[in-house]
Amino acid sequence: MSRKLLINVIVAVVLAAVIISLPFMLGNAYWTSILVIMGVNILLISSLRTIKLLGHISLGHVGFSLIGAYGSALLVMKVGLSFWAAIFIGGLMSAVVALALAYPFLKVKGIYFALLTLLTAETFRLIVRYWPGLTGGFWGLLEIPFPDPITIPLIGTINFDNINNYYYLTAVIVSLSLLVLYRLERSHLGFKWVAIQDTEMLAQSVGINVKWHKMLNFAIACFFAGLAGALYAHYQHSLSPDATSRFGVLMSIYLVVYMVVGGESKFAGPVIGTVILTIISELGRALGEYQPMMIGAIAILVMLLMPEGLIGLPNRFKLLNRKLLNQTQRMRRS
Amino acid sequence: MVLLEIRNLGKRFGGLAAVSELDLDIDRGEIFGLIGPNGAGKSTVLNMVGGTLLPTSGKITFVDEDITKFPPYRRAQRGIARVFQRDVLFRSFTVLENVLAGLYLVSGTGFTEIFFKGLSARNREKALHEKAMEILRFVNLDQQADEMAINLPHGNQRALCLAIAMATQAQLLLLDEPLTGMNDEEIEAIMSMIRTLRDEKGITSIVVEHNMRAVAGLCDRVAVLDYGKKIAEGPPKEVVDNPVVIEAYLGAEENAV
Repeated sequence: MSRKLLINVIVAVVLAAVIISLPFMLGNAYWTSILVIMGVNILLISSLRTIKLLGHISLGHVGFSLIGAYGSALLVMKVGLSFWAAIFIGGLMSAVVALALAYPFLKVKGIYFALLTLLTAETFRLIVRYWPGLTGGFWGLLEIPFPDPITIPLIGTINFDNINNYYYLTAVIVSLSLLVLYRLERSHLGFKWVAIQDTEMLAQSVGINVKWHKMLNFAIACFFAGLAGALYAHYQHSLSPDATSRFGVLMSIYLVVYMVVGGESKFAGPVIGTVILTIISELGRALGEYQPMMIGAIAILVMLLMPEGLIGLPNRFKLLNRKLLNQTQRMRRS
Repeated sequence: MVLLEIRNLGKRFGGLAAVSELDLDIDRGEIFGLIGPNGAGKSTVLNMVGGTLLPTSGKITFVDEDITKFPPYRRAQRGIARVFQRDVLFRSFTVLENVLAGLYLVSGTGFTEIFFKGLSARNREKALHEKAMEILRFVNLDQQADEMAINLPHGNQRALCLAIAMATQAQLLLLDEPLTGMNDEEIEAIMSMIRTLRDEKGITSIVVEHNMRAVAGLCDRVAVLDYGKKIAEGPPKEVVDNPVVIEAYLGAEENAV
């Protein structure tokens, strides 16, 4: 127990050190901006995996991200709310919409659920696209302000008008959100979600209120999707309802690809998938329009060769190692 | 004392009456058999008591409470547990975790425990663990506690299904063909478990079963259904000699032979 705790602490410290020093190691604003988007995507995909615990694959996560993004931005711009309140209210708005939709949606499964969520996200996007009075319509929402500076005693005032500080802000919010998602999954709630995925019939029979737990799961996941959207909005300073934007169908599919490539069986899967695919796609930027093809090829290879995703690699190596060890032993004996 | 009271229960699927005008009284601490030819409506009755099907008419009362319209999870909270026909268990969980899933119904964990596990929470978890092991010892699965549930052989999976139902602290067990596909030894083991539960904890069981020898050996009382109607009720020995029952099972002509 204590040894495990020690390892966990060491891993956490090393991770924190890497996260803190990354902007300096990379040393340019371009890569730091990639890191911010990567952080937002990690949160988005990890919360997508939360829904997967129920056995559902949502193709509409970007739609709930859109509610958080536009909601938070509009609250700051039109209502004059502080950024710090607005991003959470943005997330809550997304959760409330999710809660209302969950009741009819979660009655269906598999491809039907995927299609329903996909069309819902497109509906959200088109509402925003054709409501110029509120959302700027086709031109999008422009000039979304920076987060307000905060003053912490002893440290002083922190401004978020530079990319490095926004990166740290994203890192903190995403890390805390991931911690919450992780604790939820390890709690009795997560236990019940997996039980529901296994068999709804038996889950009901042991007294689990299946409907309520499914709705709760969907709302929680969409809260974090909304929060991720809000973080994105205030970083990008502008939002676009275009089909090729972050809120389009293609992005929905990318989210699922990232999750599957990383491996959805473990909590760390989406994180690893997002980090590695982000790096690969950045390195492959020279390919231009062929870039999606490269991601597709990688996804196909991973699915065929490692059905568990990248997260299953250590296990594979362990097995391979044991096999080699056995072989050498056998060779020695003969 | 009557534990479960069924009055004028009916279920129609479109024009077909699967069950009609059924009255049953099931006493606390008895093992009640529900038998009848294929398609007689036995499983439909069990589904209506368990809550996976809602009746089109009639009333179900459990411990003086009308539960006719309750969803399954609320019936489980009142003390009705199902053992399903096929091997329905939590595939992602170990044997122990399967039993824990049942125990969580009565343990009731709070929201605060998601982030902070205090000493009392940890102690309670330990107690639950102990209790789960006790239940597993009862069904002779304590050695396999950490195995994945789906890796158990069929007979053991059925025993685990029973263990999950026990873990919910049920007063009434609904057993849907608990003995199918088992060898004699396994049948005897499950039967003695159901009997022990009755004798030591006063747990009532309703058993739907095709194996007539087992029904006769296990049940205190049986009811025979045919085309959704009750045609006989009483101790198993009497019921199997009833000409109406023989006719329902074998048809009138064979009866003459």
